[in-house]
Amino acid sequence: MFEAAAAALLISLAGALARALAGPTVFDRTQAANSSGTIAMLLLAVIGFMTDRPDFLDIAIVYGLLNVVGTIAVLKFFRYGDLGDPGSMPDEPDKQQSGEMK
Amino acid sequence: MTHEIINLASWLSISAGSIFCLIGALGLLRMPDFFTRMHAASVIDTLGAGLLLFGMMLQAGFTLVSVKLVFVGLLLFFTSPTATHALARAARARGLGPKLPDRK
Amino acid sequence: MSTTLINTALLLMMAVAAVAIARTRNLFSVVILGSLYSFLMATILLVLDAVDVSMTEAAVGAGISTVLLLATLYLTQSEEAKPHHNPLIPLAVALVTVGLLAYGTLGLPEFGSPDSVIHKHVAPRYLKEGPTETGVPNIVTAVLASYRGFDTLGEVGVIFTAGIGVIVLLRRRWRSDVDEKDT
Repeated sequence: MFEAAAAALLISLAGALARALAGPTVFDRTQAANSSGTIAMLLLAVIGFMTDRPDFLDIAIVYGLLNVVGTIAVLKFFRYGDLGDPGSMPDEPDKQQSGEMK
Repeated sequence: MTHEIINLASWLSISAGSIFCLIGALGLLRMPDFFTRMHAASVIDTLGAGLLLFGMMLQAGFTLVSVKLVFVGLLLFFTSPTATHALARAARARGLGPKLPDRK
Repeated sequence: MSTTLINTALLLMMAVAAVAIARTRNLFSVVILGSLYSFLMATILLVLDAVDVSMTEAAVGAGISTVLLLATLYLTQSEEAKPHHNPLIPLAVALVTVGLLAYGTLGLPEFGSPDSVIHKHVAPRYLKEGPTETGVPNIVTAVLASYRGFDTLGEVGVIFTAGIGVIVLLRRRWRSDVDEKDT
């Protein structure tokens, strides 16, 4: 039963990876990376139950936190053009142009 | 007897969760526009993760493992809408609009 | 058997992601694909029973490296420059090296077998006398912090220097931005 769930999660991970490779804009790739982080969390929990080591859930919690931190860092960079302190940033989205969406 | 019922319920829940994850990934691949893909991917975060974690909680019983699974569920519950919202705002701030139908 | 299949599937996905990282020209996409690659790597390490290495790989690869590379992209342009030379000769060199290394691994003992030579020299002594000699109950910590303590000292020094270098480089950029706004 857990093997079937792991196989389904691996196929979903392959689908998210295909979207990350083929996404026309960079936001598609960011969404795919976020989804693949979530699927990896669930895959860890399932593998932990499969191999009878439920200590893997601690790593799943770490993944969840890193997933959201990585996504928010990418998006903060897109909105403000910098990763500095938001209190001192001017609130305009296109401050400087070194980044283009492809 | 209740052991059998709990086993059956957890098996059903895990299967349903896996099917919803597959549906979410298929939507991520096949949807035509970025915002619709975001909608499809959110199925993975809510239904897929929720049902899978609930099924595993039924398997684990009242131990520390269930508490950790609840924590994983709460983490997904609070962080995935935040990430989705931030992604949509960043896309709108860059001028990416939804693909609207032509008005004939 | 099932973990072997999971490992094979994850390694194939990692190979596809690595090829995509090499072929993509837009650097933002490369950064995001890099964080995805780190997630896959951390999952493989977890399936191979290396839990602490997996946690470190997730934290460094998917967290810190992504953020630092994004901060670096602020200083450079967003498209990778076109290469000037034909990539066939480096590809041939890389393939020959891979072939030699794969041929070399055929002579190694089996993965995880307790009879291999590496487990017969000092490892039994560490396992038997570790807790009494060093006072640390965890054998890995005893080896890292006590038996090979100078190695750990060197590593901490290297990482500390790298961190200070990164802070100095990034801080100088923010200081120059603030100065430009004042004048």
